[in-house]
Amino acid sequence: MGEAIVITSGKGGVGKTTTSANLGTALALQGKKVCLVDTDIGLRNLDVILGLENRIIYDLVDVIAGRCKIHQALVKDKRFEDGLFLLPAAQTTDKNAVEPEQMKELITELKREYDYILIDCPAGIEQGYKNAVAGADRAIVVTTPEISAVRDADRIIGLLEQEDIEPPKLIINRIKSRLVNSGDALDVNEITTHLSIDLLGIVLDDEKVISSSNKGEPVVMDPSNPAAIGYRNIARRILGESVPLMSLDEGKPGFFGKLKTLFAK
Amino acid sequence: MTKQHYVTIKGTKDGLVLRLDDKCAYSDMIAELRNKVSENSLDGLAEVKVHTGNRFCNEEELKEIMNVVHESPHLRVSKIQSEVITIEECNRKVLEKQSETYIGIVRSGQVVKADGDLVVVGDVNPNGRVVAAGSIYILGRLKGIAHAGATGNEEAVIAASWLEATHLMIADKLETMTDELTILSEQPEMECAYIHPNGFIAIDRLQELRILRPNLSTFKGGS
Repeated sequence: MGEAIVITSGKGGVGKTTTSANLGTALALQGKKVCLVDTDIGLRNLDVILGLENRIIYDLVDVIAGRCKIHQALVKDKRFEDGLFLLPAAQTTDKNAVEPEQMKELITELKREYDYILIDCPAGIEQGYKNAVAGADRAIVVTTPEISAVRDADRIIGLLEQEDIEPPKLIINRIKSRLVNSGDALDVNEITTHLSIDLLGIVLDDEKVISSSNKGEPVVMDPSNPAAIGYRNIARRILGESVPLMSLDEGKPGFFGKLKTLFAK
Repeated sequence: MTKQHYVTIKGTKDGLVLRLDDKCAYSDMIAELRNKVSENSLDGLAEVKVHTGNRFCNEEELKEIMNVVHESPHLRVSKIQSEVITIEECNRKVLEKQSETYIGIVRSGQVVKADGDLVVVGDVNPNGRVVAAGSIYILGRLKGIAHAGATGNEEAVIAASWLEATHLMIADKLETMTDELTILSEQPEMECAYIHPNGFIAIDRLQELRILRPNLSTFKGGS
């Protein structure tokens, strides 16, 4: 019996879908059988980021409406031998086409076959959110070091605490170490004390996240990338390993680098 | 035949006391009250306290008693006393007196309400709201909205380990905690908000509370 984890944030654009794609890939790299479920009906993205867009035949709404079997709708990622699957969202219908009860049934069925089911939640706190949370055992809240994202994360944590699931865990995404070190952005400590939930991990901001997403290849495949290391560490923590938090100083100039900048003035 | 007296008038040093029998029929009592009041040969204007004893009178009956007494030009009701209240009223009074405890974080969009005092063990985050008919005490950071004395109690206070609210309300007074406000301190640690005699919400150190609102302390005795 697998575990269903919903990835949510409240606010849009903080990186829920990117996080889902990368964590799913990272878990698959660790040899787990993973199914990604895109519940953002009407505005699906997860298939694009994974580069699976042109292999979609059926979608989530087709499964729920009984127009096809689950395994017919699942899209296999060929980079992983039977390790990573995607259940894409429908693009044409709206969010009200699915009921939370139906989602629960669907996720329970997927849990029989997969180790991890990652549910990519749409932004907002309406029907789409309720559908995404319905079948989940655990929740991951994604936020960025911005006051508006943290405020929405607080709201969503309040809602998640009323659900019958484990206490949510936090991922702080897109940390710009330069801004944090200069004190211009919220730091990790400030955010975790404000939200007072456990931190699952941090992901540094990196340009390669965008460029690799555009190529349909999650950044986590590149083991040297700082954002990829963040995602890999989070995946290992999900699997129960204890991995120390990465420091923000990476990418800062070293001693000689500092000397150089001194002389450059 | 000895007629029983349903209404007795007594003079005390604080004025007259009208004692109404609580065993007889209400109509008999009113009839006798009307007689007593009209036959009374008083001069000037006297204040009377009305005691209804163990009889429960509803609003209309109380009004009728008042009107009957006021039929005499010499009497004026200063107070109506009764030994009994309804269970409903009693329960409400108990609720208003008691203190409710909320353990956890009041997050954005959440509302925690109490009929009496409210104790929150945890933070109140921005956009979170705590409302109480009595006072609000927060063991944590108040960074959201607090409304004490929500049913009109102007004596209610808001006390917090860290008072950094966006909005403070006491009874019908509202204060938005903007930067222009001079009462805001740099270190809002251990502070309380109350209605100042000038009618505005003021903030002071928590230590001042026992001088500002001595009646809030219910603790009796001790050494």
